[in-house]
Amino acid sequence: MKGRGAFDFGFFLTVMILLSFGLIMVFSASSADAFYRYNDSYFVIKRQLIWAVLGLFAMFFMASFNYKRLDKLAIPFLLLSIVLLAAVLVVGTEVKGAQRWLGFGGLTIQPSEVAKLAIIIFFSSRLSKKKDKIQKFFTGLMPYLMILGVIAALVIMEPHLSGTVVIILVSVILLFAAGARIFHFVILSLPAIAGLVYAVIIEPYRMRRIVSFLDPWQYKMNEGWQIIQSLYAIGSGGLFGLGLGRSRQKFLYIPEAHNDFIFSIICEELGFVGAATVIILFIILIWRGIKIALNAPDTFGSLLTTGIISLIAVQVIINIAVVTSSMPVTGMPLPFFSAGGSSLVFIMGGMGIILNVSRYSNCNRG
Amino acid sequence: MAAPNLMIKKRVLLLLVFFTLAAIGLMIRTGWWQIYEGERLQKEAIQQQTRDRIINSKRGTIFDRNGKPLAVSASVETVSAIPNEIRKAGNAEEVAAKLSQILNMDYEEIYQKITKNSAYEIVKRKIEKKEADEIRKLKFKGIHLDEDSKRYYPYGNFASHVIGATGFDNQGLFGIEAKYDKYLKGLPGRIVSAKDAIGTDMPYKYEKYINPEDGVNVVLTIDEVIQHFVEKHLETAAIENKVQNGAAAIVMDPKTGDILAMAVKPDFDLNNAFQIQNEETRKELEKLTGKEFTDRYGIELGKMWRNKAVVDSYEPGSTFKIITSAIALEENVVKPNDMFNDIGYVTVGGRRIKCWRSYNPHGIQTFIQGVQNSCNPVFIEVALRMGAEVFYRYVKAFGFMEKTGIDFDGETAGIFHKLKAFNELELATASFGQGFQVTPLQMVTAVSAVANGGKLLKPRLVKQFLDKDGNVIKNFEPEIVRQVISPETSATLRGILETVVSEGTGKNAYIKGYRVAGKTGTSEKLPRGNGKYIASFIGFAPADDPRVVVLVILDEPKGDVYYGGLIAAPVVGKILDDTLRYLEVEPKFTEEELATMEVNVPELRNMDVKQAQKALKDVNLKYKIEGTGNTIIDQTPKPTAKLQENSVVILYTEGAGPVSNVTVPDVLKRSVLDANKILTDSGLNIKIIGSGTAMKQEPAAGTIVSPGTVVEVEFRHTDVD
Ligand SMILES: [Zn+2]
Repeated sequence: MKGRGAFDFGFFLTVMILLSFGLIMVFSASSADAFYRYNDSYFVIKRQLIWAVLGLFAMFFMASFNYKRLDKLAIPFLLLSIVLLAAVLVVGTEVKGAQRWLGFGGLTIQPSEVAKLAIIIFFSSRLSKKKDKIQKFFTGLMPYLMILGVIAALVIMEPHLSGTVVIILVSVILLFAAGARIFHFVILSLPAIAGLVYAVIIEPYRMRRIVSFLDPWQYKMNEGWQIIQSLYAIGSGGLFGLGLGRSRQKFLYIPEAHNDFIFSIICEELGFVGAATVIILFIILIWRGIKIALNAPDTFGSLLTTGIISLIAVQVIINIAVVTSSMPVTGMPLPFFSAGGSSLVFIMGGMGIILNVSRYSNCNRG
Repeated sequence: MAAPNLMIKKRVLLLLVFFTLAAIGLMIRTGWWQIYEGERLQKEAIQQQTRDRIINSKRGTIFDRNGKPLAVSASVETVSAIPNEIRKAGNAEEVAAKLSQILNMDYEEIYQKITKNSAYEIVKRKIEKKEADEIRKLKFKGIHLDEDSKRYYPYGNFASHVIGATGFDNQGLFGIEAKYDKYLKGLPGRIVSAKDAIGTDMPYKYEKYINPEDGVNVVLTIDEVIQHFVEKHLETAAIENKVQNGAAAIVMDPKTGDILAMAVKPDFDLNNAFQIQNEETRKELEKLTGKEFTDRYGIELGKMWRNKAVVDSYEPGSTFKIITSAIALEENVVKPNDMFNDIGYVTVGGRRIKCWRSYNPHGIQTFIQGVQNSCNPVFIEVALRMGAEVFYRYVKAFGFMEKTGIDFDGETAGIFHKLKAFNELELATASFGQGFQVTPLQMVTAVSAVANGGKLLKPRLVKQFLDKDGNVIKNFEPEIVRQVISPETSATLRGILETVVSEGTGKNAYIKGYRVAGKTGTSEKLPRGNGKYIASFIGFAPADDPRVVVLVILDEPKGDVYYGGLIAAPVVGKILDDTLRYLEVEPKFTEEELATMEVNVPELRNMDVKQAQKALKDVNLKYKIEGTGNTIIDQTPKPTAKLQENSVVILYTEGAGPVSNVTVPDVLKRSVLDANKILTDSGLNIKIIGSGTAMKQEPAAGTIVSPGTVVEVEFRHTDVD
């Protein structure tokens, strides 16, 4: 066994910058909404700060928790997440017509966040042990798909479409990274496409929803409203933005601007310069993460890191694609930026795992 | 455990490439919205984020030619509400209660407005500064006060048809207010403030204030003093003669074309321009509802606001003989002393046209006498001498076939015959002003040309534009349209027209000390035979160097008489008398006038008898002493009353017995001499107005007065047309 080294400082620094930047933007974007709703501009940021502190604890804990021991915890953790997902359907707190939250005393967590990490750990563990079998469809790929199917079904029942999408995408990426055949994915995507077409045929309004992003102005008063407000914010920013805290679109034009549409507020306040900075920070994070994956001492560490980085990347890409009207609207949070409560703790925990992997990196040796 | 194999590494690297490309793609997409589409999106965003409140600019002042303000704007404020903000504050009841108290408005009405489901509601417009300050003190959220202005007309009914009025949004509706609205109104300013998605103001300051630009001040050619003279005399005449269709008067400076006064009766109060003045009409209107009401109300308002002097045309009648004379003299078809013989009528084209005094034909007379007598056959004769084409050409040159171009909306051009239909018979009747129509303004402008040496001027109502500090922005210079007749013809005709007043049918326009020239006119309205007439007189003075031209028109007088020479001429005389004195035109009295000069009665009370006797002797007054004391206790008439020289002032001293009052005798229909004798014999004094036969006396016969009282007697010549 190689000895433990120092963790990847570049990755750590990027995480800390993103976390701080995220907090500043949550404060700026939430102040108006919090003022209207709770008559307290600090209402949202106060809670987010608490989550950030918990997140830091989670990160440092995981950074010093030998990731190899996760291998042993993979199955119990997966079972726990399935239990939680089942529990949330029964005793979960309903918010806006969806049961996504479980309360533990004063805390609420989203079991889907647990499930994301659990499935990444489980897949990484199993794939690192049975490397070549994945090439076979029934004996290799199928068991993963069945487990994924169970979890995805539980998440979509909440219902939580964007969570389901993320879990499926990250799982598919992991399977792909581990060596699954691309031909198998093509075959698997056929029934999915057929299902989508069927869904549109039985409820034509879905088509409108799906294509409204192509020309939001045509649907200005209904489907397009939210996205137009987002574009107004983005467009108002221009090159240098209106200045930090000077967003006008956050005054109820974009509801809950500190959540899914926070990137639009960044664009409005900090301009293209600020938006590009955020995207570049994410590119750096992904690059450093992939580098850690490539230098990981074993396949488990490599796949684990790839899975967690993909989890971040998929959410970032979908979030920015939605707010810039580049794909149909789904409620996707922007990691580190959207004020999502417990999800920040899980993200930071994931960052801790990657930092831990980096300590065993091949490059770090002596 | 082994390190990840090569395929995993290759696939992980592939992921890095894919994520990076996707991220860069989204960066480009973001930049596209921000930079390429940024301007459009920002514009649309600002449109939804901001609220525009218009601040009315201060409307310019309208001044008379000497800088007296005739229409001024005062700052007032408009109260508006943003219902969403009030809903948030949750004190709609309190706001409504307080506002209803301050604004003296119905509580329910205010409550409805401030809780209405709208982004912006006006609660009350144009409230005074005091009320606005009270509201400001309350600091209600969602209640806003915006500057506005309100128009005041300090002189009320004064020159109402000329000045015009403004509507609710301070826009000029008619008159000068409408004509120069563009300049008077200035440029409105704006307050742009940020609002959130539910329409309330954003919590932080985002306000842009675009200053309104004040309107231009307009200086009229109207002289407030002269306008007052005209209004006063015209009003009296309109009432006395019970005019059914209004009266109009214009005073013009013939040298510049400046309208010094322009009045129409009945008038209305500009501060209350939307109230119909005529009581009967108002009662009729009250009975109507809905569309019937609005239609009729609109018509009546239009009628009331109509500036008769510029908009209405009329048959000029004998006043037009001035123009016929001017053409005849200019074209040399007649000399002032050419002889004519009036046998009471002329036959033209087989039709017999009568002289107005066909019952007593004028007989043999010179052209001058013909004008003095206003003898129709004389004018027919000279018109036939010059021919239709020449006459037509001059009528056109005098401006009767076009608008004068005055700076006033709604001017009309009158109606004249077409040249090819203008034959002998039409020419004959046109020569004495019948068969066509002109506007009062055209008439004044044409006669000004006759008076000023032959130049037709463009009449004007506005002299200059001033900025708010009184600097001249623009001067309007007098404009000569064309030379119509020669200065010589003008001079000759002025002399002839002076004799019309001194010796002819215009005697009632005569005033002491000034040489007045002019011409009477009476025309029967169409259809003829209904007993509806238009009486007019146009005159100017001094005849040798005219300073003002005055036209008075009484439309459908329903008094005892309707002749222009009887009812319109004295009005012109009075206007000229007051105006010329005001303009400090030196009076030149004839011997005869000097003999009947009026003097002011001096203050004699508390003087001793000797002093009083001397004081009266100094002003050529006689006296009669009552009582035996040495100090004057009282006098009749009282000081500053005007008396003719040699009248008697009664002086009372101590010990005067009970005063025996006298009964005012009837002097109507008497001559000046007779009336004077009758009154003096009764121990009364006389004030003589005009000359001729007594038409009016004040106090009336039978009134009991103290001795020495002045009885005003108005005399008129009745041998007029
Ligand atoms: Zn005659």
